[in-house]
Amino acid sequence: MLRQLRKHVDRLKGSGATYVDARWYPYEETNHLLMWNGNLKENASARESGLGVRVLYKGAWGFSASSDPSVLAALFDRALDNARVASQRVTFPVRLADKEPLQARFASPCQINPFKVPLAEKVAFLKEMDEQLNQEGVLQRIGDLTFMQKQIVFLDSEGSEVEKQITEVFAGLEVSGKDDVGTTHERKYRLGRQGSSRGWESIDKALFGENADRIVEEMNQVLVAPQCPKEDRSVILLPGIMWLQTHETIGHPLELDRILGYELAYAGGSFVTLDDFGTLRYGSEKLTARADATVYNSPGSFGYDDDGVPCKNTVLIDKGVLVGAITGRQMVEEANARAGRKIFSGSGGCNRASSFYRVPIERMTNINVDAGSDGSLEDIVRNTEKGIVLDGDRSWSIGPNREQFHFANEIGWLVEEGEITQVVKNPTYKNDTVKFWNSLSAVGDESTWRLSYVDNCGKGQPNQAMQAGHGVPVCRFDDARIGE
Amino acid sequence: MREKILSTLSGLRDYALEKGYETGDSSVALFYHQEDSHLMRFANSAISLNTNEHLVRLSITAYAGRKRASYDLITDLTRVEEMRQGIDIAAEMAEHSQPLDYQPTIPVYVETFIDESAYDAELAEFGNEQKLDYFNNAARGLETEEIKLSGIFSCGSNTLALMNTKSEHAQYFRTSDAQITVVLSHTTLKWEAIAEQSAQNRSELEPARLRQELAFLVEHYENDEPQQLPLGSYNIVFGPAATAEMVSYMNWIGFDGGLMRRGFSFLTEEDTGQKKLSEKFTLIDDPDRLQTFPLKQDFSGITRCAFPLFQDGIFQGFVWEQDDADEFGAQPTGHTVPHKSLVLQGGDKTVDNLIDLVNLPRERDVLYIPFLHYMNIVNPSQGIITATSRFGTLLLKEDGAVQVPYNVRLTLSLLEILGDKVAWLSRATIPYNTSHSYYARNPTAVIVPRFMQVDDLEISHSNPSY
Repeated sequence: MLRQLRKHVDRLKGSGATYVDARWYPYEETNHLLMWNGNLKENASARESGLGVRVLYKGAWGFSASSDPSVLAALFDRALDNARVASQRVTFPVRLADKEPLQARFASPCQINPFKVPLAEKVAFLKEMDEQLNQEGVLQRIGDLTFMQKQIVFLDSEGSEVEKQITEVFAGLEVSGKDDVGTTHERKYRLGRQGSSRGWESIDKALFGENADRIVEEMNQVLVAPQCPKEDRSVILLPGIMWLQTHETIGHPLELDRILGYELAYAGGSFVTLDDFGTLRYGSEKLTARADATVYNSPGSFGYDDDGVPCKNTVLIDKGVLVGAITGRQMVEEANARAGRKIFSGSGGCNRASSFYRVPIERMTNINVDAGSDGSLEDIVRNTEKGIVLDGDRSWSIGPNREQFHFANEIGWLVEEGEITQVVKNPTYKNDTVKFWNSLSAVGDESTWRLSYVDNCGKGQPNQAMQAGHGVPVCRFDDARIGE
Repeated sequence: MREKILSTLSGLRDYALEKGYETGDSSVALFYHQEDSHLMRFANSAISLNTNEHLVRLSITAYAGRKRASYDLITDLTRVEEMRQGIDIAAEMAEHSQPLDYQPTIPVYVETFIDESAYDAELAEFGNEQKLDYFNNAARGLETEEIKLSGIFSCGSNTLALMNTKSEHAQYFRTSDAQITVVLSHTTLKWEAIAEQSAQNRSELEPARLRQELAFLVEHYENDEPQQLPLGSYNIVFGPAATAEMVSYMNWIGFDGGLMRRGFSFLTEEDTGQKKLSEKFTLIDDPDRLQTFPLKQDFSGITRCAFPLFQDGIFQGFVWEQDDADEFGAQPTGHTVPHKSLVLQGGDKTVDNLIDLVNLPRERDVLYIPFLHYMNIVNPSQGIITATSRFGTLLLKEDGAVQVPYNVRLTLSLLEILGDKVAWLSRATIPYNTSHSYYARNPTAVIVPRFMQVDDLEISHSNPSY
């Protein structure tokens, strides 16, 4: 197969294409189990294989994909034809940042292949968790396990050849119940990074059992809690919501394709402009954020991106000042040219596609916030006059240019004079993005830092759901409207 | 192609029968999905992506008494052996699965049902050059050095076929669809204007209408001074995108029986027969409307016909798909479908286009919100949603003037937005394409009034810039 792919890549180069790459998925498998109130509602497996071809011709992209390996020549030709048509409307001819051709392999860390674990063992785990969640106050109990494994072979007309073997594990528990006025309240636990690998070994019964009891207890506290007040307060975000705050208001606004206007038809743009790099005070001095695809054991670490560029650790915001973005080969060239200065020195290695039949675009890797020096959660609470501790993502809605946001949470704990006083229900918070990050007044230490896994970040047309990671500490912000 | 698909499914059914997977208690169900998708995407006044995908998916569900499992594969009609292996895998998975505490229903198709009424080959195979022409016409003369064109022209065909070991009959559906979005945006000021259309048939394509809407919006956005709106209460006219988005969310947290029983609905069983929304609000699931890419029979084999959801604001009852009906002891209502055919009936206001709306006499300022961006559910059991206005919001002043506001956020209950505050709906309706296709192509459209005015709605956040 590889030889045939190479032959067609070379053929298209000979037909006038300036660049060609092929991503062959010999296999991609998923296994998803969902238990709802004791019923195994989903016991689903899937397997797919296929090929995506990307061609650059006179500064324009063409792409074509198929699951049928018998039509290789036609598939490559179709991609070239698509690029030829696209080349009729080019305003900034696509150029790709330089990279060294490489021959490389990557395998994500996995001790016990979840696809080798008997179904009975997985079902038994879910059954045990379901029984543990089945406590007073709980009306709905959900447990889910999702496993993915795929092999991706990438080769391009610049001589690169990369093979990746990736295994993912996503799992969680959720309960919901109703309060005295009939409003449903949920509480979730999602598996984040545990140890140095993420195979079946991540499914630690003790860990899930402990969290099952915790979410039931906290949901029951919410069911009898008073309504969250509508007022201005400091918000202290636990990692269970801080990851999403980071994802939505640092990650997405700093995707370079969004900044350059390539997502305006659907997902939206960014308030960030090219002039802002090096000058925009994005947040307070306590904020340092990075796109770090070199973090061990995370879905946001994948060895090499789908441009064939090695993963990197790129600082995005340095002590509050915007310095970097989430980038791939095409966008850095265009950004530097448009800005008339060299903002980016090469690709950040963030171009990924969600499957063989989707085209690579700038995606988050691990968008992390560095731990700070403001101590533990208890220390931060102790130093807060009037605030609210928030956890859990219930809803999220962000403005078209990521300029403002509204988040709803599963649980809130009011803080008065350095002490947690009571739980409140239906907590929410909102603000303008830059104003909010500039009100960052405390960043927890390493003891508060957690790496969360994300399995469904959506972007692009056609839509692509992508995996990523977020390592974040507990953070306090002093300017937010809550309870709306 | 249809014959080949059906004969392949029939062959696979024969294989399952030969292997003894049909025992009365055990069965195998096959769901074939073929998409031929074409997407031309624009950004920065260039074609940023031009793609096509031909994908064949087979989803195999095996039942063993109350045990159930599924195995999906992306495959091809020539790979029969791979599909057979899939049947074996699904059957084995079901055997080792855990029994449900209810009996899942496996449909028995009593006759073969074929529906290609919503398929138009000319649209499904609309060519590259034709797409480019459409865009050139829709944006003609409106692009400048600073005003750039974005958008998509997505079209293709969707073929669904179902068969199981209970009978030799099949269900087969084929539709064609197009989703077109044309956006003009200012590279530095960051305003955006949009015009969109959904099509099921090539004859519905109308780039001239899109150009007219864009020209009107660009004229205002280019020349008017934008302003930050004060927080407070506004009479708001929603455009078709905004209305369709709200109706789509009702489909999720409103009248779905299974979600209601699980506590994720703002309607309860006691609400059936009660007036919950404006008397101007009549919502029907109407599979006779080809523009919704309908399924006239559901996957359980139930014939679908017009199903009233709200009549003059009175809630008519929940819809039940087969598995939820099995679990909760309800009657399935013909809604075991990947998408419904929702139609919000028009009202009595004669407002056919944006210019008509602007020219309507008014006693108070009116905020026009064409599009609600990034809607999410703050509280499902109270029906509270939040979203931000986008793409050509206008403030229509009482004195007839038109101003350009920055975007605003609404955080309100659907019960409030669609309740007694509804002032009027336009007589004219339009299909709005709500396809997302995260996984497989699944064209969906909601037919909604072109305009709907709701009075006295609070805006909860007002942007100081775009």
